[in-house]
Amino acid sequence: MEKYLEKSIKEVIKEFPKVSQILDEYNIGCAPCSIGSCMLKDIIAIHSLPIMREIEMMRKIEKVIYPKREVKMPLVNELTQGTSLFQEKKYSPPLKKLVAEHTLIKRYLELISKIIEDINAASRIDKDLILKGIDFIKSYADKFHHAKEERILFKYFDENLDIIKTMLKDHETARGYVKDLFEGLEKEDKIIIIENLNNYNLLLKEHIKKEDEILYLWMDRNLSAHQVGRLFAEFSDADKNIGEVETKKYEEFIFSLEERFLKKD
Amino acid sequence: MFEGCPGASMQDFREGIKETRQENGKRQSQLKQWPIQLHLISPLAPYYDEADVLLSADCVAYALGDFHKDYLKGKSIAIGCPKLDDDKEVYVDKIKSWIEDAKINTLTVMIMQVPCCGGLLHLAEQAVKASKRKIPIKAIVVDIQGGILSEEWV
Ligand SMILES: [Fe+2]
Ligand SMILES: [Fe+2]
Repeated sequence: MEKYLEKSIKEVIKEFPKVSQILDEYNIGCAPCSIGSCMLKDIIAIHSLPIMREIEMMRKIEKVIYPKREVKMPLVNELTQGTSLFQEKKYSPPLKKLVAEHTLIKRYLELISKIIEDINAASRIDKDLILKGIDFIKSYADKFHHAKEERILFKYFDENLDIIKTMLKDHETARGYVKDLFEGLEKEDKIIIIENLNNYNLLLKEHIKKEDEILYLWMDRNLSAHQVGRLFAEFSDADKNIGEVETKKYEEFIFSLEERFLKKD
Repeated sequence: MFEGCPGASMQDFREGIKETRQENGKRQSQLKQWPIQLHLISPLAPYYDEADVLLSADCVAYALGDFHKDYLKGKSIAIGCPKLDDDKEVYVDKIKSWIEDAKINTLTVMIMQVPCCGGLLHLAEQAVKASKRKIPIKAIVVDIQGGILSEEWV
C-alpha cells in the first residue's frame, strides 16, 4: 500500500479507476483535477477527514488496490454516527477575510446564468451589464483578491507545492476567459460571450470550493500564530490600497444585480 | 442542588497521575522579561513592541505540563486572574495600549476551563473592540488536568 501512497493521484486512478469514485464519496474532489500530480498521501493529509472516516476510506481504497487481500470493513453507520462529513470550519482572521471575499465573488457567479438568459433573450447585447461584470472580475476578484493570494498568502508556503501551482494555474486560466470574454464583447459575438461567462463561472466555483474547503484549512493548520498576525497586517495594508469606497462600490454593484435579476421571480 | 463555584470545587487527581517515562536533563525557561503580572507591567516595555503576546490566567502555567516549551516560547507575556484581581479596567486599558501603542502582532489568551476564567477573554475582547487597530486574537482553554480543551481564533 505504501508504494501507492507515494504515487500521484492521476497514476493511481489510471491504474484503479474505482479509486476516483471512492474519493468522490468522501467529497475529495481530486479526481477531475486538471493536474493530478498530488501524491495520494498528501491528498489524504490535506483533506483532514475525521479520523474514522479516513480509516474507512483507506480500507475501501486498499480493497480496490488489493482485491484478494482480506480487508476488514468497518460498519459505515457505526462510524459516521455523530461525525459530519465536514467539521465546522473555523478560519484564522486573515483567511476569514478571504473567505468573505469569496462570498461576494460567489454572489456574482450565481448571477451569471441569469445574465446569460438576458443575453439570449435580448436582441441587442447589453454591453454595460457585461462590462461592469468584467470590471468586477478584473478589479475585485483578480487585482484585489487573487493578488492578495498570489503576492502575500502563497508566499508563506512553498510555491512549488502542487496544490499552490494548481491554484495559480486556475487564476491564469480565469484571466484567459476574461480576455476572451472581452474580445467576444468587442465583436458583439453572443456565443463567445456566453461560452466564456460559463467557463469562468464553472472554474471559479470549483476554485473557491477548493480554497474554502481544503487549501485554507490546510494553510491554517500550518501557519504559526506569528505568521497569522503578519498575514493579517499585510492583508490590512492591501485592503487600505483598494479602499473602503471601492469595496463598497462592488458590494453595491452585486446588490443591484441581485435586485434586478433575482427579485422579480 | 447548588454545588458552589465550579472554579473552586475540590477535585483530587492523585490516583490518575501515572508514572511516565523518566525525563532527564534540565529545560531552559522561555521567559524573556520581568515583571509579568498585568498590574505590574508597562504595555510600552520594549519586549511588547510588535510582539506576539500571551495573556495567561494565573493557573494555566501550573496546570499545563509543557507551558514553557509549547506556549510561552517566542512570546511576551502578562498574567492575571479575572476572578480575584481588582481594578480590571486598568487591564482593559493596558491591553488596548498593547494593540494601539506597542502595535503587537497577535494576542493569545490562555484561560482555564472554569467559567469565571472566561472573564479574561472578555477583557481582551473589550480592549480590541475599543481599539482602532485590529489584531488576531486566539483563545486557548486548558482543562484542570492540563489538557487543551480548545484552541481557536476568535
Ligand atoms: Fe485563488
Ligand atoms: Fe480565492
